[in-house]
Amino acid sequence: MSGMSIIPKTIARLLFPFVAFFGAYIVVHGHLSPGGGFPGGVVIASAFLMMAIAYGLSGLKRESALVRAEALETAGGVAIVLLSLLGISLGLNFLQNVLPTGFLGELFSGGILPFLYLGVGLKVTAGILLVLLSMLFAFGGEE
Amino acid sequence: MIPHSPILAIVLPLLGGFLSPVIGILERKHGWRRATGIFALIVMGVVCVVVGSMVTDVWAGQFIIYELGGWSPPWGINLAVDALGAQMALMIAGLGILVVLYSLSYMRDETGLGQFYALLLIVIAGMMGTVLTGDMFNFYVFLEIMSVGSYALVAFRRTPEGIEGGIKYLFIGSIGTTSILISIAMLYGLVGSLNIADIGAKLTLYSGNVPPALTLAFALFVTGVMVKVAMVPFHTWLPDALTGAPTVVSALLAGPAAVVGIYWVARLPYLPFGMPVGVILVSLGLLSMVVGVLMALVQRDFKRMLAYHVISQKGYMVLGIGLGTFGSVLGAQGGLFHLLNHSTYKCLLFMCAGAVLLQANSQKFDELGGLGKKMPVTAAMFLVGSLAISGIPPMNGFVSKYCIYLSGLELGQGWITAIAVVVSALTLASFLKAFSSVFLGQLPGRLEGVREAPRPMLISMAIMAAVCVAIGLLPAIGFNIVGPAQAAAENSVGYITHVFGENYLAAGGMMP
Amino acid sequence: MELNYAVAMMLVALGLYCVIAKRNLIKMIMGLSVLTDGIHLFLISLGYRAGGTAPIVAGEMISDLQGFASRAVDPIPQALVLTSIVINVCILALALSLAVHIYRNYGTLKPSEIRRLRE
Repeated sequence: MSGMSIIPKTIARLLFPFVAFFGAYIVVHGHLSPGGGFPGGVVIASAFLMMAIAYGLSGLKRESALVRAEALETAGGVAIVLLSLLGISLGLNFLQNVLPTGFLGELFSGGILPFLYLGVGLKVTAGILLVLLSMLFAFGGEE
Repeated sequence: MIPHSPILAIVLPLLGGFLSPVIGILERKHGWRRATGIFALIVMGVVCVVVGSMVTDVWAGQFIIYELGGWSPPWGINLAVDALGAQMALMIAGLGILVVLYSLSYMRDETGLGQFYALLLIVIAGMMGTVLTGDMFNFYVFLEIMSVGSYALVAFRRTPEGIEGGIKYLFIGSIGTTSILISIAMLYGLVGSLNIADIGAKLTLYSGNVPPALTLAFALFVTGVMVKVAMVPFHTWLPDALTGAPTVVSALLAGPAAVVGIYWVARLPYLPFGMPVGVILVSLGLLSMVVGVLMALVQRDFKRMLAYHVISQKGYMVLGIGLGTFGSVLGAQGGLFHLLNHSTYKCLLFMCAGAVLLQANSQKFDELGGLGKKMPVTAAMFLVGSLAISGIPPMNGFVSKYCIYLSGLELGQGWITAIAVVVSALTLASFLKAFSSVFLGQLPGRLEGVREAPRPMLISMAIMAAVCVAIGLLPAIGFNIVGPAQAAAENSVGYITHVFGENYLAAGGMMP
Repeated sequence: MELNYAVAMMLVALGLYCVIAKRNLIKMIMGLSVLTDGIHLFLISLGYRAGGTAPIVAGEMISDLQGFASRAVDPIPQALVLTSIVINVCILALALSLAVHIYRNYGTLKPSEIRRLRE
């Protein structure tokens, strides 16, 4: 799949860090404001997709891209499950808060929740990228 | 009991499912053989041990409640395991490990096995979650996990038949789970809570005059569950999905997925709604029994015939549970016992069909024949399975069907028993036709080089056949499992009391 | 808020009609998406409290948590809808991939012509 002309390429390159950063902001503030892992992950994945559409997929090798996305998704999923099991190792129940809950409304509060959302954000980003990349590669050259 | 075993039984397959793609990548890079399959087998082995320890405790009389995150109900999600859930969890774990063992040799020539075992383990985790949870929306989420995983598994090999079966299953299954979601939404609007025990307690306030919204919610819920159990007239997805899928997936869908459906059918008349549904269950059960076996008689494809028999046998189970609501304890026990037996012999029959398909490369009756000489062990297993499904002593099918016959007579409705006996006879006829056309008769020239099935498949089949015969000769084993399960299903007051404490029900479901 | 419920039920009916009666696989998939959107609208409207505020705790509300909790809109249906939207995205992705494969194998998207299993 070939890329587009020079205007979309420039704009995509300039906008990519902002969109990715906005997505990361949504993920990190999941326990304070609406959002969390799912929408934040989708925004970051769409930042990558914007780059893929503007520049074309000819620079990506299919095997390595899909393998890397799968590995990231596995890492995200395993992180979520291990964090949930953390409580069991300390004698409490599944998914219990074991990290300090700070003051209400601050960034570093809420126990294990922000870390759970980080895991979810990683998994959703990798998952949606995997789905979209597989679909794009399957068309193999059609726009 | 191993501590935290309810949640471990759900989380361990999930963790295994997340790790499988990585093991698949490593297998491709380093050239190990069957690494993903053996990993899945180890995970399922650990799950079996965990479930076993949990189940022995429940049968000793303990009602296990596990609160997630330490939040007590109704603000938190809790897992509640009573004897009914214990039977279902035991069946899912046992059938799961046998299906994984079978898949070790069935899928030996496939690629992409990392994703296959990931999907398989995640589907098993979803099934475990559905039967062990005590929260309605949690049940919906696990049901969707199980369903979406199986939509993908049916279409896994990307053959035209598989994809056609997969998309049909997707549409009809989605409508079923959507009905369940609308029902849960209406329940939340009416009652304000999502916990099963809590809804049960609060709905007793309505037992006099039932508002129309509650009836609509109940009707939608029953529709959704009937779609998942593939009762007529919602059955159209089952034959296509089971025919087009790889045989491992067919065995998985015909065995453990039926367990989930029948678990909720058994809970329907009691928790969380307390509304009468016996007539619907009896009529749909009878209809499915008859339609299933009549359609099975005219099929020319091996797996499609077996799929129609699945519908017919599930009709027996629903009929038994429906008769149980009219006061016949034997009927409800018969229905649950039939679930126990059906999973063993149906998985056995699908595995035999898969062995034939693998070795002879065909699943149509017209192209097969005379395989009894070349695959004697498979033929013997198929004979055991056929006798079991038709209800011939000394197999286990006879015991459960006899319970259902007796309960029909016990309630004074002899015509139900007559229909059930006729359907059994037709089942026997259909399987005799299948057996003779596949294993007896003349061997076509193409099939001269066919050998017996590989060892892991034979081991799984032999274990299941042994269970069939064992339960048939010693039905007390089955009744020890099913008796407490049936008592627990009807004991909705006991369920609520265990979760919330003594005074909750009396106070109309209000916390002090 | 009767209007919300009426529109939600209309969306559900429209979606169901599309799944049952349309002759194109892609239109059926779109109908499934509209159906689930109707249910999500229904769920969110259940949690509405007249004159309520969003259930987000910001700086100045910490001192009066009780009053805030009695005035805020119910957040549980919103969490349920979030989960359900994610599930439906997965189903949609799977259905569209299957539709692409069907088009390649059968050459058509009409459900009445995809009947290879019935012969």
